[in-house]
Amino acid sequence: MMDGRIETRDVAAVPVGLIETPVFSRLDQISTAKQWGNWAGYISPLVLDTMEFEYFAIRNQSTLLDVSPMHKYRVTGPDAETMLNRMVTRDLRKVAPGRVAYAMWCDEEGMVIDDGTLFRFAENDFRLCCQESMHGWLLDAAWGFDVEVIDESHSVAGLSLQGPTSFSVLQAAGLGAAGSLKPFDLVKLEPDLWVSRTGFTGDLGYELWVPWDRLTKLWDRLWAQRAPWGMRAIGTHALDMVRIEAGFVAAKVDFQPVLTASRLGRGRTPIELGFERLVHFDKGHFNGRRALLKQRDTGPRYNLVRLDIGGFKPAQDALIYHRKRREVGHVTSGIWSPTAKRNIALAELRAPFGGEKTDDLWAEVYVNEEGRWDKRLVPVTVQTKPFFRNDRARATPPRAF
Amino acid sequence: MNARFDVIVIGAGHNGLAAAEALAKRGKSVCVVEQSDAVGGMACDRLAHLLYNPAPSGVETREIDTVSLSPEGAHVLIRRGEARFTSGKPHPDAAAYQTLYRRLVRYAGLLHQLAEAPPPGLEQGVTSLAGLRELSRLAKLGVGVKRLGKAEMREFLRILLTNAYDLLLDEMPDGPLPGALAADAVRGAFSGPRSPGTVLSLMYRLRHGGGVFLPAGGMGAVAGAYAEGARRAGAEVRCGLGVTRVIVEGDKVAGVLLSDGGRLDASAVLSSVGPMQTMRMAGIAEFDIEAVRRARKLRAKGSTAKLNLRLGGVPEFTGLSAAQVKARLLVAPSVAGVERSFNPAKYGDLPKQPVLEMVLTDGTGPSTLSVIAGHVPETSWTTDRRESFTASVVETIERFAPGFGSLVEEADLLTPEDISAMTGAPGGHWHHAEMGLDQMLTTRPTVGMARYRFGVAGLYLCGASAHPGGDVTGAPGRNSAAQVLADGVA
Repeated sequence: MMDGRIETRDVAAVPVGLIETPVFSRLDQISTAKQWGNWAGYISPLVLDTMEFEYFAIRNQSTLLDVSPMHKYRVTGPDAETMLNRMVTRDLRKVAPGRVAYAMWCDEEGMVIDDGTLFRFAENDFRLCCQESMHGWLLDAAWGFDVEVIDESHSVAGLSLQGPTSFSVLQAAGLGAAGSLKPFDLVKLEPDLWVSRTGFTGDLGYELWVPWDRLTKLWDRLWAQRAPWGMRAIGTHALDMVRIEAGFVAAKVDFQPVLTASRLGRGRTPIELGFERLVHFDKGHFNGRRALLKQRDTGPRYNLVRLDIGGFKPAQDALIYHRKRREVGHVTSGIWSPTAKRNIALAELRAPFGGEKTDDLWAEVYVNEEGRWDKRLVPVTVQTKPFFRNDRARATPPRAF
Repeated sequence: MNARFDVIVIGAGHNGLAAAEALAKRGKSVCVVEQSDAVGGMACDRLAHLLYNPAPSGVETREIDTVSLSPEGAHVLIRRGEARFTSGKPHPDAAAYQTLYRRLVRYAGLLHQLAEAPPPGLEQGVTSLAGLRELSRLAKLGVGVKRLGKAEMREFLRILLTNAYDLLLDEMPDGPLPGALAADAVRGAFSGPRSPGTVLSLMYRLRHGGGVFLPAGGMGAVAGAYAEGARRAGAEVRCGLGVTRVIVEGDKVAGVLLSDGGRLDASAVLSSVGPMQTMRMAGIAEFDIEAVRRARKLRAKGSTAKLNLRLGGVPEFTGLSAAQVKARLLVAPSVAGVERSFNPAKYGDLPKQPVLEMVLTDGTGPSTLSVIAGHVPETSWTTDRRESFTASVVETIERFAPGFGSLVEEADLLTPEDISAMTGAPGGHWHHAEMGLDQMLTTRPTVGMARYRFGVAGLYLCGASAHPGGDVTGAPGRNSAAQVLADGVA
């Protein structure tokens, strides 16, 4: 129109609904389950075949998962280390270029905003990968520092290759140079291809990062080597099982990212989530340090713990009782672990339970027996070690396990 | 070996000096560091001219009338609640004005106790003695409101958060009389009478009873009295020395670096400048991200200019006697006019009809007309723009005082930019930060800073951006000093 108003029909169409990642056509082809989920606005497989097949492939063979929907932010510039070190709780000065660090970051009250992995490409060049959208927060955190923050969520894509034969697949695909990578190492193997020995499974595995439009090529390159190594493409349900076995926490499941929680008191500190070892009080100021320092002295309000639960029924959402009477917490993630052959869970307990007090704890598990509900009180024991540990996860160079 | 003090105060404005005096009186060794060559900050003759509150001891003041000029010549003479025409004739709205004025002063009195002491805070909870004391202060306000009686209490709560435009024009027809109150409600602020919260800012202005006082010897004398008080108490005041950095070690203040390369050690540093400038001095990385964001977003858009016109003779205003010319002269012909003058400011333009507050200085020498002009842009002051604005102010005055322009020998214009450079006031804002509802009491200057403390131990805010804010009261400084003593950091 001549008067400067804008007609709706003249506006370029905005995609409605979930967006396909570059390898969607590949996934759609092999998917028999047709179970799709929403991962940060992208169509992501929940299950491609069956969850059990996919789970066992992670633990016994190798698996490929498209992790492109992950939020990715590049932070570069002379102040990049200082700026990020003020944001996250761990000391990034100890993370050398070519290394990846798991990190948490908090609000001013010490409540976790999100967790994620920080890739250090060079002295002044980082990438943050996380579940929650973090652009606004990063821009706030970057204010006053000589850094540039770029949202790479839609320009950098990634594949997660996990499992005992994952290195063999890489070798067969001509990426054998990754063999020298120790856990949390990061290397540029080819122009536009970074490989890190990272993952969400607690097992041997790699993540491969390429520009968005190169992902299909990378997928095909790895997919071509699948046969002898039993590689499968997987969905996120199977991944969720292995991350519980590995004892990894998930945002919005095991803790509520404080910036998205609207109710008061829903935030949790890294100390309460069991990550005090990643809070480095001696590195100078970082966001939430004063509040966390106070909590270090007064003690946590909650304890997120690993539980071994009696029986075999997954205890998802079960309430936890002390002496079978007093409610002291609840299960945040619970599964039957096929590898550990145990009924395992992550649970949030009100302090001092899970801390000094760990005896006489019970889980109330509800079981639906074809229309009839049964309530069982089963004993629980607090575990300090992850449920799944295997030396192959750390062996360097990795073998064809 | 660096010189060591218990406390260093950045800036020898009236608030910095008041803080220094309060601390020195309690036996602390205090050094006030001032970047300019003169003490007083914004309390100087070039910048300010009147007091709305009791002056520091040793300064004589004289209460003066206000004359709200009318383009039609029906000027209104106002003293506190009384209004009549300058010709001596009664004003038809005098009764309505008086009722409204008295009501506002009564309400302002209720807020007064909150306004002077540190803002109430319930952070300790009510289980401790200190927490209960805080609660009792809030309760006192509650009791005071209750004592008004049902009808008045309702009225208080009804108007508290409304705008001056509606309040004034509900009571009387528009003109220079309500215009004067409208101008008082928004002076120094980036707001017009229609902006929400302007009734509260008007009450704030009236909280000492509404008198307007001219200090004998000018504002310089007031600044001198603050400096004298600080020095007498034992504080050292060093002028011509800027602070380039606040040294923080282990999340605690350790001292300051000076513009001459020297260093002073101290365990507490009080800053008279804005929160953001203070954070920059200590290093942004020392503060939480949210605290920096709040300081960044602090509304402190300077919107007031000061114009000092040196005159070759005593100006004559049509319809004013020689004595009336010595009153506080306002050009605020209507509430709507004050609102209209704010409109261009929103877009960074100059007001077409500026709202002015003018005072003719005392004395026998060459007289100076001191003019405060509201609603000017904060930045982009080119030479052209300065000249055209000066000309438009002179032209506005000329309308009421024919021949005024030819008396002007020299014009000294201070824009918000100049004021910021001269005094360090954030954005050159008259009150260091907008006196809005969201930036008053427990949220002044920002959420989490009402206790004058920054996150870094030993770092405090003591300037007008802290509660209770603007005006030459020294209250932010004294409150800040009290907090330092209560925290036991120095």
